[in-house]
Amino acid sequence: MTKYVAKRILMAALTLFAITFVLFVLIRIMPGNPFPVERMSAEMILQKRLELGLDKPILVQFADYLKMLASGSFGNGTSLYNGAPIKPIMLKCLENSFKIGVISILFGTVVGLFIGIVAAMHRGKFLDGFCTVVSILGVCIPSYVFMIFLQYFFSYKIPFFPYFFDASNFLSSAVMPALSLSLFAISTVSRFTRNEMVEVMNSDYVKLAEAKGLYGWQLMRRHVLRNALIPIVTVIAPLVVDLLTGAMVIEKIYGINGVGKLMVDAIAGQGVDYNYVLALGIVFSALYIAIMLLLDILYGIIDPRIRLAAKEG
Amino acid sequence: MRKILMFTLLILAAMVTACGGGEEKDSNTLKVMLGSNAVSLDAAQATDSVSFELMADCIDGLTQMDSNGKAIPAIAESYDISEDGKTYTFHLRDAKWANGDEVTAEDFVFAWRRHCLESTKYAYIMGATVACVKNADAVTKKEAAPETLGISAPDSKTLVVELDAPVSFFPSLMCFPAFYPINEKFYNSLEKGTYGTSPETFLSNGAFTLTEYLPGTSNIRLQKNNSYWNAQNISLENLQYQVVSSSDNALTAFKNGTLNLVAINGNQVENVKNDADLSKNLKIIPTGLLQYLSFNQDAKNHHGGALANVNLRLAISNAIDRESLVNNYVTNGAQATYTAIPINFAPNAETGRFFAEDQKQFSDVVSFDVEKARRFFDAAKAELGKDIFDLDIIYANDSGDTVIKVAQAIKSQVEENLPGVILNLQPMPKAEYLDRVTTNSYDIAITNWAPDYDDPMTFLTLWTTEGSEISEHWSNLDYDRIITECTTGDLAANYNERWSAMYDAEEILLRNAVIAPLYTNASAVLISENVKGVDFHSVAIERVFKNVK
Repeated sequence: MTKYVAKRILMAALTLFAITFVLFVLIRIMPGNPFPVERMSAEMILQKRLELGLDKPILVQFADYLKMLASGSFGNGTSLYNGAPIKPIMLKCLENSFKIGVISILFGTVVGLFIGIVAAMHRGKFLDGFCTVVSILGVCIPSYVFMIFLQYFFSYKIPFFPYFFDASNFLSSAVMPALSLSLFAISTVSRFTRNEMVEVMNSDYVKLAEAKGLYGWQLMRRHVLRNALIPIVTVIAPLVVDLLTGAMVIEKIYGINGVGKLMVDAIAGQGVDYNYVLALGIVFSALYIAIMLLLDILYGIIDPRIRLAAKEG
Repeated sequence: MRKILMFTLLILAAMVTACGGGEEKDSNTLKVMLGSNAVSLDAAQATDSVSFELMADCIDGLTQMDSNGKAIPAIAESYDISEDGKTYTFHLRDAKWANGDEVTAEDFVFAWRRHCLESTKYAYIMGATVACVKNADAVTKKEAAPETLGISAPDSKTLVVELDAPVSFFPSLMCFPAFYPINEKFYNSLEKGTYGTSPETFLSNGAFTLTEYLPGTSNIRLQKNNSYWNAQNISLENLQYQVVSSSDNALTAFKNGTLNLVAINGNQVENVKNDADLSKNLKIIPTGLLQYLSFNQDAKNHHGGALANVNLRLAISNAIDRESLVNNYVTNGAQATYTAIPINFAPNAETGRFFAEDQKQFSDVVSFDVEKARRFFDAAKAELGKDIFDLDIIYANDSGDTVIKVAQAIKSQVEENLPGVILNLQPMPKAEYLDRVTTNSYDIAITNWAPDYDDPMTFLTLWTTEGSEISEHWSNLDYDRIITECTTGDLAANYNERWSAMYDAEEILLRNAVIAPLYTNASAVLISENVKGVDFHSVAIERVFKNVK
């Protein structure tokens, strides 16, 4: 088991390194100037480039960057636009995105499970069809379209929720974005739950349990749901990262100070803010890799076959 | 199952109960839309009007603008000018920073020196082309000690500024954020690079203090500063800013009362005019922003430098129907412009007439006249020995669709009126656009410039040999000479002669068609009827909220 975990951690670290490298190189070779040069003379731009070490070979720059990363700061730790330190701003934005992300995940998973279970229990009947339609709609409608729809009806037509995100009124402002974001989670989770449950329900041991006289909710809870949940966790894990790292369009529309909006602004601002884009890219990747790593390890614990396969491989 | 159901219901219930009420109705709060993020609250970092507006809300400089844009006293209660116009002595009033410290003359000395020492984006404004503060350029280039900069504080309430040449608009220049004071003690107590990045790291001495702000975030909140020297005349208690990137979203937010002041785009103006309720709220605000075509005149540029030929430039400039551009494509109240200085800007101190009020004075070289354009074009074809001109026209497409429509209109007008000219439209993100301009890989750029201070020189210095290193690549010694005379030379002291010399400079510029002016932009805003006293300006600080009643 230790060997399995060590191997996974090493792989994760290597992946993160590779991602950092690719991100770094891509951003450096991108066309465009990192500074809002309108009010800067050629001399000032040159000076700024020298200051930031942009004149050095790209691999040297990368090595410098890794050194700074190791010391805990991103880039030289400041935005290229306004010289403000990145870390506190990024943390604040992560916090906002996290809060909304957590609400939408909890809500999405719970509702998704509920719909999935109802559909599975009534498979082939009207309710099953209805739940399927709901989950397909959820996948098809982009969350931001749903967000605009909600904003129009529940902030504009019926002014119940604030029209823009308001941090001092968090819960009420979080409802619409969280609901829109959870749409995808609801449909994905419900679809998987239904399919997994239907499969488990057709298995021999469930049939045996039924033959023993178990039925209804008891059968579902004891035998079906527990076995169906494992694959569902696999679907939820990447969703968690997606939702935690913010939704760029929704944050932009609703004015949420989250990491998604921060990323968009860093890319499409007056110039590409190298330091921000890299820092955010690395944080997003690290989160994703960490969750996947956790999942891999959990699998190993839950299901010894995976561990064994790794050993043989 | 029951547990899951209960949990779901619980979450829903919590959400719904948390939402009751929603909007607080505070009659003394003004909610204003911002079109983009504020880059920074540090005058050394910001170059955008949004940041300037926020700084002006929170900090008073030596002077401030009245509702007509004239400089009136702020921190300086009064000032004396020496006979030669080169020494200003400002007498500061008793004013306090929000932390209780006195605002002193040293605060100004510190802030001004900092611009030169750190050679910030606005170090140039201290120097010979603008404010002419003694030794500013030398200190910026590290050729002189910071103590030699022409600003000193004989005592804490007296500030003496020495200039290399008289600057007629110096008092109005003092409204600009680059000249604002910084509390040195406070600044030095902060971690490097954090000044102005949060309410805790920013200190105001002005009408409002910051209560909620992070660089790049969408909501900014300010509240009345009770220790402001003029606090008894400030009636607005809260000022809230909301960054809204889509004007459709802004319009809806205005309609349902979420925002009291929003900017709308040209497409929406027509709809709003037809709406009986909304049209009452519509206001067209003239700005000082000049939209123009910048011709790359470097003979070595990537298309063989055809635009180094003056007749080709004149042909293009005269083939554009500017009236049609503003009436059919921009539609936000912008005015067609035939001068290098935009229209609603730089009034003469004596007559009060705007510098560019007479739009016809250069009509023989800048107009819409197809026949004339073709004559210029024939001359260009003869001189260059070719009939087909393939030119790239570049523009940034990430700041709304107006420029996209304008580019398309220019292409169709020029190609129709000058058969043989082909304009290749090249929209691109702003970062790439700026890169193309600085690396000299374009033929024509659609660009704009907004004035930093209330004098034609804020535009004219763009096209000196030194200034045009970045764009146009045009150099004219006569032009350079006039600009030098007007800024640091003999004409600096003579208001009227300087004024007419600036027309001479503008004439050289337009006869050579260095640029093709297109229009002076306007901004269409919707403002709630009960909001009175918002001052709009075409220079430096676009909106001032101090006088809101």
